[in-house]
Amino acid sequence: MFRLGIDKVMFVLTTASLLSLILLDFVSLQPNRILPGTGHSIVSSVGWGYALLIILPLLFNLFLSFSFRKASSIQRYSFQLLMLILVFLFMPMLLAIFATQHISETQIHARTGLGSAFWVLLFLTSLSLIELKQKLNLSRLKICFLIILITFSWLFFYITAQLDTLAIVREYTARSVQFQQAFRVHLYLVCAAVMSSIVLSTLLVMLMRRHHVFEKAIFPLLNFIQTIPSLALFGLLIAPLGYLAANSEWLQSINVGGIGWAPAMIALIAYSLLPMVRNTYVALNEVDASVIDAAKGMGMSPLEVFLQVRLPLAMPIILEGIRITTIQAIGLTAVAALIGAGGLGNFIFQGLGQAAMDMVLLGALPILFMALMADLFFSTLMSLFSHQDKTSRESQ
Amino acid sequence: MFWLTCLLVATFGFVHLEELFAQISPTQRQVIYSRDSFLALLLNHIYLVSIAAIISICVGVISAIFVTRSYGKEFLPLVSQVASMGQTFPPIAVLALSVPLLGFGTLPTILALTLYGLLPIVRNTLAGIQGVNPAVLESAKGMGMSSIQVLWRVELPLSSTVILSGIRTSITINIATAAIGSTIGASTLGDPVISGLVNGNTAYVIQGAILIGLLALTTDSFLERLQQKLIVKHSLM
Repeated sequence: MFRLGIDKVMFVLTTASLLSLILLDFVSLQPNRILPGTGHSIVSSVGWGYALLIILPLLFNLFLSFSFRKASSIQRYSFQLLMLILVFLFMPMLLAIFATQHISETQIHARTGLGSAFWVLLFLTSLSLIELKQKLNLSRLKICFLIILITFSWLFFYITAQLDTLAIVREYTARSVQFQQAFRVHLYLVCAAVMSSIVLSTLLVMLMRRHHVFEKAIFPLLNFIQTIPSLALFGLLIAPLGYLAANSEWLQSINVGGIGWAPAMIALIAYSLLPMVRNTYVALNEVDASVIDAAKGMGMSPLEVFLQVRLPLAMPIILEGIRITTIQAIGLTAVAALIGAGGLGNFIFQGLGQAAMDMVLLGALPILFMALMADLFFSTLMSLFSHQDKTSRESQ
Repeated sequence: MFWLTCLLVATFGFVHLEELFAQISPTQRQVIYSRDSFLALLLNHIYLVSIAAIISICVGVISAIFVTRSYGKEFLPLVSQVASMGQTFPPIAVLALSVPLLGFGTLPTILALTLYGLLPIVRNTLAGIQGVNPAVLESAKGMGMSSIQVLWRVELPLSSTVILSGIRTSITINIATAAIGSTIGASTLGDPVISGLVNGNTAYVIQGAILIGLLALTTDSFLERLQQKLIVKHSLM
């Protein structure tokens, strides 16, 4: 049967990508870090020859979004995926070529800014990738492989020094030591906050399971804290902590003060408690009573029932709570830079203060990356647990 | 109501509490934030959040309706995936990234608030509409309702509580993000906090922080009340 079908989603995404490449600036050439650059479209930046490296795969994808025959859709989607990977791989290459054509070795301050077309293209191709991932039902392993492949192509061009003129790379080389330190501090703060709130929320949940009275007090309190905006909570902790620190030598000796890591840590933990306590409590309570009865009937002790039945069954939802908490903490730690906690937020706020956009990017992009990685990590862990569930159910 | 009273008292009362704040930061010559009046900051804060909320409610609900109709169904997997994935992006990163695109000021703040506020609304509207019992839809169609009538009189009312809770999440996040927006040049209640932090003036920080907290609590309790009214209305239907 002959029917002209059209894959609306891929058609829209690809057309938008192509339009953005035609209409917007792909890169800009900046004489230094503050002055605005002169924009170049993709063709004027690297010439038609190289520009086709990205435009052709996109055109091919556009063509593929029409189905003239009843071609196997799996085949079509795989081709589209291949084209998208090509686009991803050629993006750093074009930047490298632009740098060699437009910036000479002597211009040590000149830098390549990424233009709006670049960001739009990156965004739209990522959307297409998500779309194809769902259509092809790609496993998590394959997705990880793709991410690693794309990261390696960027790393290759970075290590071979072909991306040195890229604005964000220039910014990084100028403060690589500070960056690594900020990254570490950020990671430590998030990890410490998440770890301690896991411990604290376990205690709270145990208390609530023992005495249900506490339920009525704890949830409203945690809800209340969650409603208070982060900047306000950080601000409100300054005065009492500053007062305490001024009157206690011991607190001063461990560097606690109105500003710094202490108020940040307290606020982070306070915010982390609600999702964690809520999910853990609900998950533990919602385990099917008949399953618990069955376990008891098999002669398991209460502890065994808890550890071998209740906890594993509740695990996916508990992990979801930890996932939400971690992602939230990564973002809040960035805000905590305002009260002197350090971390990547420092780059954002310093960059905003100096109107140095590349520095803002240097802070914001790793935060985004960190959040995405945390998300990937915990969702993989969650799928492992629910998978285990399924196989154990099947074997029964 | 309680929080609203507190908010109003704080907005107008801080000016008269000079002695109290002088004790908090005794070294500062000026202890009451005076670059803008608290009322102006409060109103501007509310203005930013409401503009962003109105846009994101319109866009969010309409796009969720679009992808659940037969003509937009193809976009459904992508939109629902993006709406849930987008929430992994920290609001502060979205705020920071909007500056290179639009520059400093009120506009990028509104943009960031709108974009970020969209996600919970889209997600909840989708969940609400998809959660409507198919049997109910069938019987509505069987009664001879047109598809617009089904949407307007069955699907939207039945999912309204879920949509409203999405709006509540969105607005709560946006009040917090708007406060941070004062670092990119929007004038909000974050101003006293930021300027207090920069100059080491704790009194400013506290004034700003209290007002932001009260605003958030007032809005939240208002939305909660609305939600409860809606639930009551539904149980009567």
